[in-house]
Amino acid sequence: MRNRLVRLAITLVMALGSLSILSAQTFAQQGTTKAPQLKTAAQSPDLSGLWAPRPDGIRINTWDSSDPYGQKPELAPMAPWAAAKWKEARPPFGAKQTFEGINDPVQRYCDPPGITRVWMYPWEFTMIQTPQMVYILYEFTRVWRSVAMDREHPKDPDLTWMGDSIGRYEGDTLVIDTIGFNDKTWLDHTGHPHSDALHVVERLRRVDHDTLELAVTVEDPKAYTKPFSGKKYFVSTSSPMEEAICAYSEFDSFQKTVIDPTTKSPGK
Amino acid sequence: MKQKLLCVFVIAVGLLAVSIPANAHHGVAGYDLTKTITVHGTVTKFDWSNPHCVIHMDAKNVNGEVQNWTIELAAPSLLNRMGWTKNAMKAGDDITADVHPAQNGAPVGISGTITFQLKIVINGQPLPTR
Repeated sequence: MRNRLVRLAITLVMALGSLSILSAQTFAQQGTTKAPQLKTAAQSPDLSGLWAPRPDGIRINTWDSSDPYGQKPELAPMAPWAAAKWKEARPPFGAKQTFEGINDPVQRYCDPPGITRVWMYPWEFTMIQTPQMVYILYEFTRVWRSVAMDREHPKDPDLTWMGDSIGRYEGDTLVIDTIGFNDKTWLDHTGHPHSDALHVVERLRRVDHDTLELAVTVEDPKAYTKPFSGKKYFVSTSSPMEEAICAYSEFDSFQKTVIDPTTKSPGK
Repeated sequence: MKQKLLCVFVIAVGLLAVSIPANAHHGVAGYDLTKTITVHGTVTKFDWSNPHCVIHMDAKNVNGEVQNWTIELAAPSLLNRMGWTKNAMKAGDDITADVHPAQNGAPVGISGTITFQLKIVINGQPLPTR
């Protein structure tokens, strides 16, 4: 009886072993059928991972390489209506920086920062590449983007905060083309506006293993008389992303506790 | 003398244009970065929260009057990377903090951003700085 039980146990173990091998083969076969997609991913430049701003780029306030720190933001090639709108901006950074009456849509209302401005904040981001889609997850405000790698723009895209992004690889560079924005975000930290005709091209490439270069070109024929562009660099990091979230209640509390007292006249 | 030393005070160190303004979620226009003052007193509350951590503390001014100071720090995620934790201080702790004061003289200062962290000592132990 005991020997029979032992034989039964051995038989069961062998059967389970066979099943495991069969499962492994099945997975391998599935992998084989998806091989062309994996090959495509392998051929693209690997930009994936965690990236943090390189210290020399932390103070970049515009995407105009002639004025990266926003010390002469009035010189941007703005159309008259855009210049008038910019004059109303009370930004937290650049030559016009102020604490009084700030109307920065991010600082005051936790609005999404927009794709050109989100790069300017001193937080990390994560790149995830798949054959069909590239995802960019930003630590600041926990906002994320998807870049479609297998289609063109819609002919009449909805106008959204993040726009419609499509991408392609040119050698070692990921080129992201985005249109379809609403006009509610600021282009940069100095309050430059944009219209719904905004067209942004971002080029991302590794200049060395630990350094990522971002070149941004801004074209908006309604708001600017000519395109302009700038660069910023990021370094590979192992520090995990944390909760740099934008909660309106926290931002409002901070405004009232810290910012507002500094804008009152002494003695009031 | 000891009592005098323990007494909370504010010292103007003055005209140290060493900190470089940098971007977090807002600028530094409300602060006078050409001045650094030292505030000594007792922590009343420590906010470990976004968009920036904030220290609330009681400090006596030169006239012996207690003022509630508010000290701005970097965001918690950025302080974490510098070696701080949410337990860096608690209500009742003795604190000596270097800050750039508000332009308008309000008892508000900034002690740290993404690019700098001024000296803060809690119960005799300095916190990490940049």
